[in-house]
Amino acid sequence: MGENSTEQKLRQILSEYLKQDLTDVPGNEDLIDYLGLDSLSGLNLLALVEKKFQVRFDDEILWSLRSIEKLCDGISLAQKQMSDL
Amino acid sequence: MKIALIAMSGVRVKTQTLAELGVTLPQFVNRGKVVASLPSLGLLTVAALTPPDVEVEYFEVDDLPPENRALIKYDLVGISSFTARINDAYRLADRYRAIGVPVVLGGLHVTLMPQEAQAHADAVVVNGAEGAWPKLVEDFKKGQMKPFYVGARKGVFEPGLYAKPRFELLKGRPYNRITVQTSRGCPLNCEFCAASIRITDSFQQKPVNLVIDEIETALKITQHPFFELSDDNTFVNKKWSKEFLTAVTPLNISWFTETDISIADDEELLNLLAKSGCKQVLIGFESPISHALDGMNPNNWKTCRQPGYVDAINKIQSRGITVNGCFILGLDSDTPETFHVIKEFIETSKLLECQVTVMTPFPGTPLYNRMRAEGSLLKDEYWDRCTLFDVNFTPKHMSVAQLEEGMMCLFKELYNEKQFLMRKRHYMEIAKEILS
Repeated sequence: MGENSTEQKLRQILSEYLKQDLTDVPGNEDLIDYLGLDSLSGLNLLALVEKKFQVRFDDEILWSLRSIEKLCDGISLAQKQMSDL
Repeated sequence: MKIALIAMSGVRVKTQTLAELGVTLPQFVNRGKVVASLPSLGLLTVAALTPPDVEVEYFEVDDLPPENRALIKYDLVGISSFTARINDAYRLADRYRAIGVPVVLGGLHVTLMPQEAQAHADAVVVNGAEGAWPKLVEDFKKGQMKPFYVGARKGVFEPGLYAKPRFELLKGRPYNRITVQTSRGCPLNCEFCAASIRITDSFQQKPVNLVIDEIETALKITQHPFFELSDDNTFVNKKWSKEFLTAVTPLNISWFTETDISIADDEELLNLLAKSGCKQVLIGFESPISHALDGMNPNNWKTCRQPGYVDAINKIQSRGITVNGCFILGLDSDTPETFHVIKEFIETSKLLECQVTVMTPFPGTPLYNRMRAEGSLLKDEYWDRCTLFDVNFTPKHMSVAQLEEGMMCLFKELYNEKQFLMRKRHYMEIAKEILS
């Protein structure tokens, strides 16, 4: 799956879950601040992304995955790690 | 006429080694920071009880101007504080009175120690402000303010006494949590409790429509607020609870409250709770050791409930609601082995958050009276050490040093990054089961 399609799928998943159109949200926007999420809602988002993309993010980078761009990078990294196994 | 209402919250641990340890354990201070950053719901209620022709300003003590010149513009000052900062409150009151501004003191500590407070105030309000503050202001206007005013201990949410807190006074301030009260008191009546049970005769429940109205009002003045119900035990009345949860769900808010494990008995209530935006419930387990709970409540409620702790935690957390389990160190039967038992319980029960504090005999509580009678208090006056982390008594089965050292070791084991991450990972696994 290419990076663009990952981003497209991610935006669609998050938009559906949050019931809010995220199409035009800049890729580097901090989603926690932008959406006004509390810490548990932030964890819910991470859990949702892990589930939908069937990946597991590295614990070390978990807290840095706060924007669409960072989430896409995290997904790519996790997918690569899985394929390397 | 102009009144300044001054809130004093936040505590500083006095024991040096523990204070130093806290700095190195970010998870240890998180909850303390949250509590310290909450606005004073009591003073917002006092503001609402003030006659409309009187101007009211609300301050956090740290926002006060340092010069006396700026303080003198008020006709009257009201100060509310916790026990741990009551000496700061008294010093501030003395400062105002020295420049000729009369001072009223109120709050939980003052209610339990009114004679002590009177030495620093022109008037003292005992219990809640309902039934006391409007009369005080009228008397003040006439130059006839009395030294003591006694607020109502029942019916505080009924017409004639109830006033909706003036949340608009918080507008433009950096609060990210807003407090709303749905009840006062708690039927469990724990010996150590120094909360609203001490200002009520019985459990007081606010009607659901008033609670919803308060939340809707607060929503107008803040963006994305997290609501914290400032109750001692929210879901005592299960019928009221279901009505409230059904009514709050459409407001789409995130919130937190304190309750007891009986909520786990009611599947319907748990399902409503999960839908309502409740993110966390704080539950006082106090100890995972059954006999340690003996005598804590008049009817030994917690002793009877202890065998069901793990099952209750699982039931609640499986809905995506985190349980913040509270434990008290230094209970009468605690020994140096107890620290390990608590750590094991927290790990095996997979609690998603935990709060461990030391038993604290707050003045005026049954625990304080008992310990004083037993001669186990370390000092007669230790109010600034009522931080929930400083030891103020001699435990029955270990030394003070053993209790302090055991507490610090336990904190290191519970509040480190590895444990924090494990708890969050566990939450994410639960969330994956729930999220579609």
